[in-house]
Amino acid sequence: MLSNVVPSVFNGLVLGAFYAFVAIGLSLIMNLTGTINLAHGSFLTLAGYLAFTLVSKGTSFWFALLLAPLLTVVVGVVVERLLIVPLYKRDPIFSLLLTFGLSLIAEEVYRLIWGPNGVPFSAPGVLGGGISLGFMQFPTLRLFIAGVLAAAMVALALFLWRTRFGLRLRAAIQDTEMISAMGTNTQLLYMVNFALGMALAGLAGVLASGLLGLSPTMGNALLMPAFVVAIIGGMGSLFGSIVGGLLVGLAISVTTLFVPAANEIIMYILMAVVLLIRPRGLFGTEGLFG
Amino acid sequence: MKNRQMQGYVGAIISVVLLAVLPLKMGSHSVLSLMHLDVSILSEMLLFGIAAMSVNLLLGYTGLMSFGNAAYFGLGAYGAGLSIHYLNVNFIEGALIGTAIAFIGGLLVGPFLLRRRGIYFALLTLAFGQVFYFIAYRANEFTGGEDGMSFSRPYFGFPGWHTDLHETTFYYLMLLVFAAVLLGFWLIVRSPFGRTLQAIRQNELRVRYLGLDSNKFIFVALLVSAGMAGLAGALYGLLIMFAAPLMLDWQQSGDFVMIMILGGAGTIWGPIVGSLIYVIGKDIVSTLTQTWQIYIGALFVICVLAFPRGLLGTLLYAIARRDVGAPVSEEEVAHKTWEHGGSAGTPTGAAVAAAEQKES
Repeated sequence: MLSNVVPSVFNGLVLGAFYAFVAIGLSLIMNLTGTINLAHGSFLTLAGYLAFTLVSKGTSFWFALLLAPLLTVVVGVVVERLLIVPLYKRDPIFSLLLTFGLSLIAEEVYRLIWGPNGVPFSAPGVLGGGISLGFMQFPTLRLFIAGVLAAAMVALALFLWRTRFGLRLRAAIQDTEMISAMGTNTQLLYMVNFALGMALAGLAGVLASGLLGLSPTMGNALLMPAFVVAIIGGMGSLFGSIVGGLLVGLAISVTTLFVPAANEIIMYILMAVVLLIRPRGLFGTEGLFG
Repeated sequence: MKNRQMQGYVGAIISVVLLAVLPLKMGSHSVLSLMHLDVSILSEMLLFGIAAMSVNLLLGYTGLMSFGNAAYFGLGAYGAGLSIHYLNVNFIEGALIGTAIAFIGGLLVGPFLLRRRGIYFALLTLAFGQVFYFIAYRANEFTGGEDGMSFSRPYFGFPGWHTDLHETTFYYLMLLVFAAVLLGFWLIVRSPFGRTLQAIRQNELRVRYLGLDSNKFIFVALLVSAGMAGLAGALYGLLIMFAAPLMLDWQQSGDFVMIMILGGAGTIWGPIVGSLIYVIGKDIVSTLTQTWQIYIGALFVICVLAFPRGLLGTLLYAIARRDVGAPVSEEEVAHKTWEHGGSAGTPTGAAVAAAEQKES
């Protein structure tokens, strides 16, 4: 019994960390600019494919893990500056639709370049195998992913709470007009904020492609759970997204073990319960976006 | 302005007559066959138009970003399909059962959706829409799962009289349904109820101060919208004799929202204009190229950036601008400049909204 549950709990937590990661990127962009980025999954997939191309061209996995998210950030910022910026002052439905259109285009373009089916992309040998902890084996790849995701979240938290720029970002989320009046370049804030979201998506994309299988729809499959996680955790709360993500990951893996038919529904049930008891989400702020 | 109203009626009559004569043959060709279009494409256009109108009621009139109306559309299709397949009901019963199932779906989800506004509402509609997707996907011994389910189209009729619907008669039936829905929609929008919905779009807080329970109004709007989308879905299922999980998917919801924006949000005729562009454009492009999804996506991007008011919305806006100087009622301006209603998108607007929320 235990030998079944422990690995499944562990896998659930790793999956949940992915959800949290994507949800944090989404929340960052949503909180500052009111943009629901439906193309977030497409950028995630892009990073995966870029890493795949880099590795197949002979680059090492480690270099690709660094470079692919950076390239994704560059592409993302170009898209943001050219297409999304004109919509910041308009009704949020427009940026929602624009990013929806972008995700349609991206999915088809990935299909054209890399083919409609999944491509084999695996982590280097060092990460294969497992680490024995006496009573069971932990797969090294998942441990590594968990480590990278945790480190990146700590880095993000330090950036937001321990740097001057992070302070401005958080202030802008509360009142963009005021921080603009005080002489901060809000356009720069928007850009860096979007870049942060892209970096998170990129990192998650490269790591996920080794785990979930790299295909044109990989990112979009992570997008919906990420939205649910953001709702459960509470919009605008980094900590909430992490807790929500781990909770959802855990719920999915445990349900898969005992009631496999319900594993996709369980997170929506969780969401419905949270909405009934605490509509703002577990750690959400009252009043933010109604 | 009586003159403008007359123009509206004349326009409506001309449109319906045009839609009615489209499939008629002139010699051996109809206008449609010259464009290499099938009559069923026209039926699809009308039904997608109704589905887009259901989004319009929420988004265009009430200011609620609904990104999950495909759920009701799909529930309608499954409701019709399952009842025909398992219960052997007739055409009208199938369509009504489909509509009722979608209505019940709205009844179940509505109380949750009511808890939030703004982009949060959009996220909730997205997420709850997926619930139905996964149910259809997972219940595969009942619904056929991922592959969907095909069923036969029953006879259309009443006890004592019935007829077999082929594509052209089906189209005329759809035209009749569409005209009825359009009329109903027009009446709703002009009723005190519809006016209240528009007031909610402009300032929900003030509506509450006036002593109206805005939640109740929104809930009813949600139910009407779900019923309309369900009716469209049920008839669409009967048209293609097929129901599949993809009909419930959020990407389908996005298509409906886009159709509405293409034509013009907050206008009566916008959704059908958008549907015309979308359905026929998709049909033509998909025969020319495999990668039509790129073109549809590009259409969305261009429309959002260049014609956010949509085709009809831009036209009406231009007319309203030309008429400046002439007495234009507040209401007409608000109606024609849809975006003015929702300033919550701007950073300042969001701050004001948040401040007002705290006060309440």
